[in-house]
Amino acid sequence: MKTLIIEIIEFNRIAELVTVSRKFCDQPDIVGLGRGEIPGTYGKAYQTEETIGANLLPALVELVKSGGYEVVLFSATTTGSSLAGPLAARLQAAFISEVIAVDSDTEVSCPMYGGKAVAKYKLSAKPAILTIRRKYFEKAELEGATPSEALGEVQKLISLLAEHEDETGGVPLEDADIIVSGGRGIGTKANFAMLQELTTLFNESAVGASRGAVDEGWVQPSMQIGQTGKIVAPSIYFAIGISGASQHLAGIANAKCVVAVNKDEDANIFSRARFGVVEDYKKFIPALINALKSEA
Amino acid sequence: MHIAVLAKVVPDYEVPAVDFELSNNRAHDRYTRMIGLYDENAIEVGVQLKEKYSESLTIISYGNESDIQFLRKAVAMGGEKLVLVTGKSDDPFVIAANLKMAIESLGNVDLVLAGQQSADMDRGVVHSILAEMLGYIFIPQVSRVEKDNRGWQVTQITETGSCEFKFAGKGVLSITSVPENVPRIPAVRNIFAAKKKPVEKIPGSAGSKMKTEEISVSIPHVESVCEFLSVDDLYETARTLLTKLREERYL
Repeated sequence: MKTLIIEIIEFNRIAELVTVSRKFCDQPDIVGLGRGEIPGTYGKAYQTEETIGANLLPALVELVKSGGYEVVLFSATTTGSSLAGPLAARLQAAFISEVIAVDSDTEVSCPMYGGKAVAKYKLSAKPAILTIRRKYFEKAELEGATPSEALGEVQKLISLLAEHEDETGGVPLEDADIIVSGGRGIGTKANFAMLQELTTLFNESAVGASRGAVDEGWVQPSMQIGQTGKIVAPSIYFAIGISGASQHLAGIANAKCVVAVNKDEDANIFSRARFGVVEDYKKFIPALINALKSEA
Repeated sequence: MHIAVLAKVVPDYEVPAVDFELSNNRAHDRYTRMIGLYDENAIEVGVQLKEKYSESLTIISYGNESDIQFLRKAVAMGGEKLVLVTGKSDDPFVIAANLKMAIESLGNVDLVLAGQQSADMDRGVVHSILAEMLGYIFIPQVSRVEKDNRGWQVTQITETGSCEFKFAGKGVLSITSVPENVPRIPAVRNIFAAKKKPVEKIPGSAGSKMKTEEISVSIPHVESVCEFLSVDDLYETARTLLTKLREERYL
């Protein structure tokens, strides 16, 4: 099936979408959004520096129509969310968002009820437009780069006034091998410093947070992990003072090992954890920090 | 000028996974119903805009008449009126078409706000489809909205930080959760007043469904047995944890 990837030029996002594309075709085409080379080899590559969905829509509608694409893939990110729905409406396409499994070239699965259920859908028409949840598919090996031609003319319905990148101070959450994440149980913004100190003792680690901690204003929204935050897949996920709402668990479904630290032995997070410590984190985390330092 | 906020009544989204049951491929109807998680953030943003710019604010929902009792909370938070399009479809194209009908019936809606994602179907797509049907600009994951005489200025939360955008004309914005839009708790007098505010019921239409077919809905089986570590000596607990993480090759 003729497949088109539309994605920000970012290696990991594109590599995951290439893996998905191979369920539908041998070699997809791609529209790279942003600057830089488009990593990997494609039948055709198009590129534009524009990344705002509404501004891109007419050019993408024209490309999907003229190119006869049967499947269009986005990652389930801000950019994908801004484009996939309007594109599906304009093309009267079959449209499934947040896909977590591709069972065949006409059957896909996505979560419902905060990941407490999974729905399987049959795509009954072409084109089919899919947004793919991050971290559910392995990254394809992308070699080299494909020269691109310019995408058609973009509109200027929306103007970008400013762009702000949060300081992560280390590895991006999506790429972290170990994540130390805090919830409302952390109690204050200042207490996140303890989690930050713990991450410095691991390689490839980062601090995350639940929606509750973000709502309290203790951390930046870009640190939120969960169904509507970041989807992560670390080797170890330390859930500190996190109750374990299903929306949060949806974001860590692919974590290999969850270590939960919570005073409440009935907290739902323990149902997902491999190891549990029922204790005040303010007592346990310093002990863990000391144990790690003594090994150094 | 008129702002519409879309609100959906959903089954209790805080039901733990271990207690979750399906009935006819949907959440069992024994669960308490409530306004969706992010929809309340959208209502809060709508109320703040109403207060700041003296706008009109209407709450619009698609669902059953029994949802009205729950939607009154949105009115108590600051909505002036509730419009319910009655219908039972879960199809995003059908829902969007019915919401479009309600918005057009109001006649002068300039800004439509919606939670970034419903707490039942998890799709986060109806608002974007609706925007296209209305011919409005769509921006997802918005945390802040300001108005000036040239149009709207909004902040979008992205994966790495935020973006500030401006646009003129009419728009549909999906609202995400930030501390500034945590929903207010309605005052008791507003809760009573909400019971007297008008509710307009519009019969829904069948609409054109999306070209997909739901094959099955199932509850995933997650096998996780938590090993609780002794906390008699926390330093030893920490050392034991690190040893076990290494033995199982996570560390």
